[in-house]
Amino acid sequence: MELGDFLKGATEIGKAMGVTLKHLGKKPVTVEFPHEDIPIYPRFRGRHELRRYANGLERCIGCCLCEAACPTEAIYVEAAENDPDSPLSPGERHAKVYELNLLRCVFCGDCEEACPTEAIVLGHDFAMANYERKDFVLTKEELLNPGMPKVIIRPE
Amino acid sequence: MTDNVTLTINEKEVSVPARTLLVDAARMAGIEIPVFCSHPKLDPVGCCRMCLVEVDGPRGTAMMASCTMPVGDGMVVRTNTEQVQTVQEANLAFILLNHPLDCPICDKGGECPLQDQTMRFGPGISQLIEPKRLAKKHYDISDTIVLDQERCVLCWRCIRYLEEWEDKPQLGLFERGNETIVDIQDGRPVDAKTGGNIIDLCPVGALTNRVSRFAYRPWEIERTPSVCMHCSVGCNVRLDSRTHQLRRIVGRENMQVNDQWICDKGRFAHAWVNDENRLAAPLLRKNGKLTPVQWNEALAYIADRITGIKEKYGADSIGAIGSGKISNESNYALQRFMRTVVGTNNIDHRDGGEVAALPTGLPALAELMKPQYGPDPQVDTVLLFGVDPSEELPILDLHLKRGILRGGVKLIIAHARKIELTRYDGPYLAYLPGGESLLLDRLIQAVQGPGMSEDESSIQTAAKLLKESENALIVYGPMAARGDDGPSVRDGLEQLAQAAGEGTRLAYAGLDGNAQGCRDMGVLPDRLPGQFPLEDASARTRLEGLWGCSISSSPGYTYKQMLDSQEMRALFVNGANPAAESPDWSASLEELELLVVTDLLPTETAQKANVVLPALGWAESDGTYTNLERRVQRAPKAVSDPKSRAAPDWMMLTHLAKQMGASWPFSDARSVTAEIARAVPAYAGLTWEALGDQGLQWDAGSAPATESSGGRTSERMPELAADNAEFPLNLVTGTVLYDGGTLFSLTDQMHGMAHGATVTLNPVDAAEFGLDPGSAVTVQSEQGQLDLTVGIDVQVQTGTAWIPESLPGAPVGALLNGSYIQRVKVEKR
Ligand code: SF4
Ligand code: SF4
Ligand code: SF4
Ligand code: SF4
Ligand code: FES
Repeated sequence: MELGDFLKGATEIGKAMGVTLKHLGKKPVTVEFPHEDIPIYPRFRGRHELRRYANGLERCIGCCLCEAACPTEAIYVEAAENDPDSPLSPGERHAKVYELNLLRCVFCGDCEEACPTEAIVLGHDFAMANYERKDFVLTKEELLNPGMPKVIIRPE
Repeated sequence: MTDNVTLTINEKEVSVPARTLLVDAARMAGIEIPVFCSHPKLDPVGCCRMCLVEVDGPRGTAMMASCTMPVGDGMVVRTNTEQVQTVQEANLAFILLNHPLDCPICDKGGECPLQDQTMRFGPGISQLIEPKRLAKKHYDISDTIVLDQERCVLCWRCIRYLEEWEDKPQLGLFERGNETIVDIQDGRPVDAKTGGNIIDLCPVGALTNRVSRFAYRPWEIERTPSVCMHCSVGCNVRLDSRTHQLRRIVGRENMQVNDQWICDKGRFAHAWVNDENRLAAPLLRKNGKLTPVQWNEALAYIADRITGIKEKYGADSIGAIGSGKISNESNYALQRFMRTVVGTNNIDHRDGGEVAALPTGLPALAELMKPQYGPDPQVDTVLLFGVDPSEELPILDLHLKRGILRGGVKLIIAHARKIELTRYDGPYLAYLPGGESLLLDRLIQAVQGPGMSEDESSIQTAAKLLKESENALIVYGPMAARGDDGPSVRDGLEQLAQAAGEGTRLAYAGLDGNAQGCRDMGVLPDRLPGQFPLEDASARTRLEGLWGCSISSSPGYTYKQMLDSQEMRALFVNGANPAAESPDWSASLEELELLVVTDLLPTETAQKANVVLPALGWAESDGTYTNLERRVQRAPKAVSDPKSRAAPDWMMLTHLAKQMGASWPFSDARSVTAEIARAVPAYAGLTWEALGDQGLQWDAGSAPATESSGGRTSERMPELAADNAEFPLNLVTGTVLYDGGTLFSLTDQMHGMAHGATVTLNPVDAAEFGLDPGSAVTVQSEQGQLDLTVGIDVQVQTGTAWIPESLPGAPVGALLNGSYIQRVKVEKR
């Protein structure tokens, strides 16, 4: 009885050690985040940003369509008229206020889909932890100057 | 008109009145035909071809414009065939050829008929590869309206509105073919007082609101049905708000009041609602400075001081001024506070006890209206006596013009100024301020005079018109019947109405938004709620029973007397600004022991107050208002500023009454309305539900009869003609729509429209005094002086100087100083 138990235990340990030995020579899958980058799929939807045209003008025209499309009411836009002498965006209209509440956002990408000028896009930044609730509301400034611009415009 | 015709639309039998247009018949049958140029309030033109339908005729089936085609008996119409669909798609594709892809930046987006119809009836894809036509964008055709010629679909609605309703053809089509554009005439901006209505009419975003530009999206605003408070017409409006801010005002249909039109002041001048200077906390003067305090402290202070003053000098040393700008509820609470808690009848409002008014206002606006497909006005002749609807009651002006142009209404004007409506050829009877009685005497004589006289003078013509009319209406305003002369003018008008015969009615039209309601609530020194005279013992007993206390039967001071009198020790001023009206009043307000001002903004009067209480305006609190035809209408709360501690007047007064030992059963505005319905017999049974969103007119029969002041002293003729070498001109004053008042001037975009600080003279007088337009002058009266610039206009009679009330920075009160008639001289500065 006791010998039987002992042998059984020894076999189990032997099996387990076998697994260990088998993986000893293999490359580990753990990524040393944040010291190492994580591979991200091109269509990953992370923290938003507002894009500009090559000439520096904001793409956003303050049309509020993203706001209308958003299922969680995470976006707040307040539009205003452009000063013809120093416009912020092409045309007559720009966003005076653009706020995006990350605590509400479910990263569905509908805003991106709705935007007629491809201004609002979801980027690849997913490390969005913060200390204060209010810091989760991204202002227009923050959206226009993302810390980590890595945006790919999804073709669809 | 009543005979019906039967036709078939899409295999469905439809019976409609003869002469109905096909497009309307289809709408009645619940079948939608897409339109652009057709509009139920405008004459058909048939210029967009969107409404083509198949009609079977003697020569086979044809495509016809349903918006210009009247129905015929046995007509067979189809709106759903393949051919109709092809034509609709082709038409939309054609309209879109030159229409820019502006939807994301266009204020119409989301409520745009072009968007909607393209989605429903359009081809779905575009075949256009050629470049679009370019034209003027964001082009201001007035200070308040922006035109985008690229977006225009050339439907003519704006052009037709200005022609058919305003009778001011200020827009037109220019160029031809592909280049056709809408534009103003000769570079003159659209200045029609109700021009903003073309924004609501435009089926695309070609005409947009400059004041509300980019401030709203139709899908994100809250819409509250309300009424406009800028004048006593009480137009029905819709308040569009978002994030506690009033973003836009548009017209709302009420076929008893404003059709669907509103004036530009009502539409655009609303910046004051969200102005940053709005009073938001009670202020108490401490060490000479107004300091924000808690409500408790402010109310306790007032209660304490009022009790003290009442003990020391008696209740009649305390007075209150209500206002035609605040709700029935607030006015009612104010007079109840004065009559029951303080125990005095010292309560009045501007244009209150000083004006010899009549209790029931206009018979009904609908009797003057000429809707597009409605009957002609019932009134056939209108005599305007000292009212200028174009400046004072713009939508009444619109109804009158329509009545004259399409309803055969005859107009007679008696005014100190040759007002805008004199452009219609009716007799114009001029008088000088103070000369109203004189003119009336002559008019009455002419009416009573023997038969037809050969005399072609305007008095004779007017008399003839009045005598011939079957249903005449005489309308007079507060300017004509103020002060000591007031009762005699009113009696004269009554005499005239009698002399003119059976069908002639006389009506008084107050000017402020709630002028009528203010009277109905008893904000008068000699009248109780329901406009019952103080002497009326039964009315007094009824109210004493309701209020559970006794009411003094001695009349109080009028507005003017309260401000002139030296015996006043304490004054409540709600929604009025007497300090800006007269230098003397401004000084006497400082002499008071206690001045409590309740207002929206820190006015000149509020600066002098011991306590300033922040009030809520008509958009921010529930209330009822009564317009010039006795229609009680509801204005629900539409916006609220979460940071403000302002409260409605009735609520402050309820708390103040409590501090002073009276307990009122008011928990919300609805409970005040309920008590009004008990206190004012004419308002009996009136509830918010009954008012609905179209209001209710109270029955004129339930008003107390006005006692005529008996024998009229027509012998007393004022010596007006007396030449006064020192002050050669008669001062004429009055209301203008775009004045310097706070409720108007806070809308920045409209500054260019405001009446300048000018004195306007007849060219003859200007030449005599050697003055050119724009000369800087000093105007002097015995009371004071004012620096103005000169304007020249033939509208102004010779021998008079026209200076409107409350001009920006130039209060005509400096010359009048509380009086009504002054002579002035104008000298170069
Ligand atoms: S990703 Fe989705 S939830 Fe987030 S802001 Fe955009 S639309 Fe809203
Ligand atoms: S981000 Fe795009 S959709 Fe949103 S307001 Fe700006 S332009 Fe419109
Ligand atoms: S501006 Fe508007 S209302 Fe006027 S013609 Fe063009 S589309 Fe019609
Ligand atoms: S007519 Fe008078 S009530 Fe009507 S919208 Fe104009 S100002 Fe307001
Ligand atoms: S709607 Fe009939 S032609 Fe325009």
